[in-house]
Amino acid sequence: MKIVAVRLALLALVLAAWELLPRHGIVNPLLLPPLSDVLRALGDQLLRPQVHEAIAVTAAEVMLAFAIAVPLGAALGVLIAESEYLGQVFKPLLFYVFSIPKSIFLPMFILVFGISFAQKVAYASFTTTFVVLMSAATAVESVKQDYLLVARSYGATRTQVLLRVYVPSMMPLLLEALRISMIFNFTGVMIAEMYASRTGIGHLIAGWGENFQMTQLFAGVIVLAAVAILFNEAVRWMETRVSAWRA
Amino acid sequence: MLVIFLLLWELVPRTGLLPELFLPSLSSTLDVLYQDWRIYAAALWVTLYEVALAMLIACAGGIAAGAVVGGIARLRQLLLPVFSSLYAVPIVILYPVFTAWFGVGSESKVAFAGIYAFFPVMLSTAAGIRTIDPQFLLAARSMGATLTQQVTRVIIPASLPTVFAGLRLGGALAIIGVVVAEMLTAAAGIGYLVTLNRTILDSPRVFAALLMILILSVAYYLLARAVESRFIVWQSAGKELPSTV
Amino acid sequence: MAGVIHAIEVEGLSHVYGGAVSALENISFSVAAGRFTVIVGPSGCGKTSLLMMLAGLRAQSQGTILCQGRPIPGPDPQRVGVIFQEASLYPWLTAVENIEFPLSLRGTPKNERRKRAGAMLELVGLAGFGERYPHELSGGMKQRVSIARGLVQDPPVLLMDEPFAALDEQTRMTMGHELLRIWSTTSKTVVFITHSLTEAVYLADEVLVMSARPGRIIDRIAVPLPRPRSYDMMATDVFGRLRDRIWQQIRKTP
Repeated sequence: MKIVAVRLALLALVLAAWELLPRHGIVNPLLLPPLSDVLRALGDQLLRPQVHEAIAVTAAEVMLAFAIAVPLGAALGVLIAESEYLGQVFKPLLFYVFSIPKSIFLPMFILVFGISFAQKVAYASFTTTFVVLMSAATAVESVKQDYLLVARSYGATRTQVLLRVYVPSMMPLLLEALRISMIFNFTGVMIAEMYASRTGIGHLIAGWGENFQMTQLFAGVIVLAAVAILFNEAVRWMETRVSAWRA
Repeated sequence: MLVIFLLLWELVPRTGLLPELFLPSLSSTLDVLYQDWRIYAAALWVTLYEVALAMLIACAGGIAAGAVVGGIARLRQLLLPVFSSLYAVPIVILYPVFTAWFGVGSESKVAFAGIYAFFPVMLSTAAGIRTIDPQFLLAARSMGATLTQQVTRVIIPASLPTVFAGLRLGGALAIIGVVVAEMLTAAAGIGYLVTLNRTILDSPRVFAALLMILILSVAYYLLARAVESRFIVWQSAGKELPSTV
Repeated sequence: MAGVIHAIEVEGLSHVYGGAVSALENISFSVAAGRFTVIVGPSGCGKTSLLMMLAGLRAQSQGTILCQGRPIPGPDPQRVGVIFQEASLYPWLTAVENIEFPLSLRGTPKNERRKRAGAMLELVGLAGFGERYPHELSGGMKQRVSIARGLVQDPPVLLMDEPFAALDEQTRMTMGHELLRIWSTTSKTVVFITHSLTEAVYLADEVLVMSARPGRIIDRIAVPLPRPRSYDMMATDVFGRLRDRIWQQIRKTP
């Protein structure tokens, strides 16, 4: 309990600084508007239909991209983990892939899809697939050979091995993979929207930035941060529930 | 594998499988790069400068913060979950804030990429610090090591693998951060060239810039790996020998 | 005491953790110079804590510890060498550099260090392996290097905390034999902690049996077997009876 109290105190400190430093001119209020102004702008924005639309678009992109990337990445990841040959061919490549800024592929997606909903979804699923792939491969490889051996020696069929050994054993890692993948997914959608888009929250934020509408900008940042953190914590909570058996 | 990739790059657009607009042939890309090499070199210089500064911030800050937060139990319990929650937020949404504050020049890129790379390096270092065998210090104490000696002769060498991992990560992320920032809002740099040429639909020039970024990332990765293996000879995988006593 | 300074003298040693948990209770014993004493007891009886205190790595709540007639306020590697269960060799140093480490902490010049480390390396039977890194050594070899490191400053007293526990049985037996060989060429006092009753009887001049927590000394058993010890002694009646006696004592404690 003490730890939570200290964290809340730190948070309060940060929020207080955000309010007071600009108000008293210690920090330029044009660059960092006081928290209360930002919150007011937040309230205003949430009432505007334009903002609702943008939220809807972004949410749709995030969920669709995720829905595509997760099965695709998982399937590929399992394949690479299970097949010695494929593993040897592709695993070294994956390291290189992760070093490359995937945002460089955005122009290609724009060329193919134009500036559209499809382009953003395609780009985001593209970047997320790699992360899911990597996590899935790691999760599969994490299942101890011993567990499999025991199951097989008791005559478990392949399906039973899959459902009764692989899945429970991998569950914590899978949830972790989902959590991390969503972080990358969200980031991917944001980058695409900020780079070239006519809709979506990312686009709005980029616009507010260009026009120096700092209160709206910070309001947008706060909302997005809150959503991201909420989702993150929700999955973390699920992880702890599923991981009780782990050391 | 590389050869196949290069061949495809050349042939697929030439044969019309994909329009040149989507994928300009390797030869046209290289040609443009050669013709405009001054422009590309200047842009590369800007990008490298930004990457270096961002990496400095992220690695120095991230490793130091990670070592402190990871090493001191109280701080770790208090702050680590907070930092890893913050990691969930797409940092890119803060970029417009940086351009509003610092303008369109290098400062905003350095600030953004610095922060972008900071969190993962910090988290990685904090985790790595904990892998150091606590027995090492006990053994040192029993051998009469002073506090200074414990730090310089044990803690520092034992942390080297973690530090190197942090440097490698920090550099890679700094490159990614700078490139993204330059693509979004910039007046110079390789990422800027990508965006500039994309809007005028000059595919060969876009791909020339992409190629440079690709080479930069891969080169950094290989360099980091090489340096790491030179310094950490003793980390090379060695399975324990069967006991011959 | 009639003017005989024992290598180790422990008097009324007690230790309490966190003000509440009594770990050691009124331990008193002495070890004469040049003797090999083994402390054996169930898990959690506090034998490692006792060793830490003998090494000056931890302070006791009550009682005195004298080593060669003087107290041990802190680690004193020139008086007391410590060998832990985990070899804890530094992976970034070669075997010989690991052995030299205590000397380099004291600023001993390089040639001197090399010479002494080399001699230790030979003593433990690893001549020629000096340039290997720990990850290139087997478990038994790592422990030998650890022993060499403990010996390099030639301390009169050697404390060993279950050094062979992580090794397989056959290696353990060989290492035990090796240890006795090394010990016989020096005149050091050894306090050796183990779980293994066989190991205890095989190695010791005297076995101190500890009870479960709070740890007390519940028996002192002299081992009259001749030296040098040999494996076939393990098959004798005497050996069996000694083992049995220790086991009975340990079993009795709750």
